[in-house]
Amino acid sequence: MSQKGFTLWFTGLSGAGKTTLAHIVEAEMRKHNLRVEILDGDVVRTNLSKGLGFSKEDRDTNIRRIGFVCHLLSRNGVAAISAAISPYREIRDEVRKTIGDFVEVYVHCPLEVCAQRDVKGLYAKAMAGEIPSFTGVSDPYEEPLNPEVVVDSSKETPEVSAKKILKKLEELGYLPKTEEVYSEEEEEEVKRRLEELGYF
Amino acid sequence: MGILDRLRSLGKSQVESKEKKVVLLGLDGTPYTLLKQFCADGTMPNLAKIVASSSLKQMDVSIPEVSSTSWTCFYTGMNPAQHGIFGFLDLQPNSYKIYFPNSKSVKVPALWDILGNYGKRSVVINVPETYPAKPLNGSLISGFVATDLKKATYPPELLPTLTELKYRLDPDAQKARESKDVFLEDIYDVFEKRRKTILHLFDQEKWSLFIGTITETDRLHHFMWDALVDKNHPYHNGFVDFYRRVDGLIGEVYDRLDSNTTFMMCSDHGFTSIEQQVYLNFWLKDNGYLKFTSDQPKSVEEIAPGSRAFALDPTRIYINLKGKYPQGTVEPGAEYEKLRAEIADGLRAITYQGKPVIKKVFMKEDVFRGPLMEQSPDLIVLSNYGFDMKGSTNKQVLMDREIFTGMHTQDDAHFLINRKDILDKKPHICDIAPTIMKELGVAIPSDVSGTALI
Repeated sequence: MSQKGFTLWFTGLSGAGKTTLAHIVEAEMRKHNLRVEILDGDVVRTNLSKGLGFSKEDRDTNIRRIGFVCHLLSRNGVAAISAAISPYREIRDEVRKTIGDFVEVYVHCPLEVCAQRDVKGLYAKAMAGEIPSFTGVSDPYEEPLNPEVVVDSSKETPEVSAKKILKKLEELGYLPKTEEVYSEEEEEEVKRRLEELGYF
Repeated sequence: MGILDRLRSLGKSQVESKEKKVVLLGLDGTPYTLLKQFCADGTMPNLAKIVASSSLKQMDVSIPEVSSTSWTCFYTGMNPAQHGIFGFLDLQPNSYKIYFPNSKSVKVPALWDILGNYGKRSVVINVPETYPAKPLNGSLISGFVATDLKKATYPPELLPTLTELKYRLDPDAQKARESKDVFLEDIYDVFEKRRKTILHLFDQEKWSLFIGTITETDRLHHFMWDALVDKNHPYHNGFVDFYRRVDGLIGEVYDRLDSNTTFMMCSDHGFTSIEQQVYLNFWLKDNGYLKFTSDQPKSVEEIAPGSRAFALDPTRIYINLKGKYPQGTVEPGAEYEKLRAEIADGLRAITYQGKPVIKKVFMKEDVFRGPLMEQSPDLIVLSNYGFDMKGSTNKQVLMDREIFTGMHTQDDAHFLINRKDILDKKPHICDIAPTIMKELGVAIPSDVSGTALI
């Protein structure tokens, strides 16, 4: 099967788990021999969008740039994955329109959970007023209205979320369909029984 | 009155009852040599009586000698490169992603599908690699690895009967790790329910082919083969008693047969004692052919770039070929052939306490024929008795022992047919389907791998 390019667009608060999910999904896609590229928000800001700040205008420019690269990659048969907060609905929708083959994943996670995780220590600083215009604290986050996939990282494991995303990609024809004879639970049961007999 | 007139004067149902029928009892993992022993020592008197007027032969099975592959050879008459089942797990095309082959993965018609085309009805109970149950002219209860009785049952109307009979799909092998008493009890319980179901469907359903398979034998052998070998073992009698019960079922079925029904028995592989478990992926790793991305990889899904070969359970070795796998490193052609030869030589040199571990290393073209050669393993290993090959990826040693005491054998399965006039050759499991087709007067497809034994 020849690869159809598309953009998998993660959106959600800082610390919601976008990067983690992007890497799990990327690994699964590579098992299917797909060409994949991740554009991670934090990484992009150190090169492609170096110098941009966090004003509404700069944020929009950042997302448009990521969207532009995703578009180039997608139309050349690559699965482009964007993992950036991308807080504004209007710009996300603009990028969606430009790319066409666009799959939006809303990584939902309540602000207080993200703040509690605070992997990068940014929430503490934002709440102390040290970072102005911090999404969810002092800057708005606009939830997507019609994302293709919604995952909730406060209630499900990254593996479960990733499976949801991969399933949607199969449904949409971006990933080859796996023949589903066994449900997830059944597959675990099969593994267990094969393990018990030393076959797995 | 001529014979045709006499037949015409009989009622239709009586004419139908004169049609040829076949009953086959499958005993998963029961060796020919064990049946001979149990016939001789009085453990299986019913079988001994049948054997006196039958042909009981030692039989070769598929390579690899695992139930999923072997039973599929049994019910298709074809080899793995035709039917597509090379083991209990396989990789999705162009990927290292594991999937569990099942009845929907089988690429060729089953024996009962062919019989169905001739209007012949089959009842098929507990044959491995038939899950989920697919529609057929008849009834089918799937065998290993069936997980959901509903999906394992065709037609769905049969389900209430199975529920009433308290039918169980499989013993819980986990129990062997808890207590051998509990495990044996579980095996007896599953067998008793299976026995009742077999006899119930035998009596209640119409059929031209009836297949009832016992898989509890295999489970018993895996965990308690030592109890068979050692007469002083605390569970020796528990093991032998199980075969007395199996013999009881053989007698109950045989007594029900009329003169138009041919009786057959077979297994999908034999069994012998384990001396050591041998881990092919460790050997490949240790010899620089394979790398993983973690120290304790759960499966070959964690293969690292630069790997040249990997193994899937139990004895399948795949060359990490460019163009076939995402991180393929080996060029097809000369490089591929050189690597296969090198790995085969290396494997042949493995010894344990001075004894060679490997009996034979086959190239895929030595054992497989068919349209699925591309997805066949590139090398297949046949070990010497005592050395149980495994596809584990997380082992840090080449050999060790675990809870298992019995291992499969490829050349000591059994085939029985209650007639003496059969071909003078060692049967192969692929021969059974064409033999049944011939016995039932159905044309044998030209591409089957096996030969009718009658």
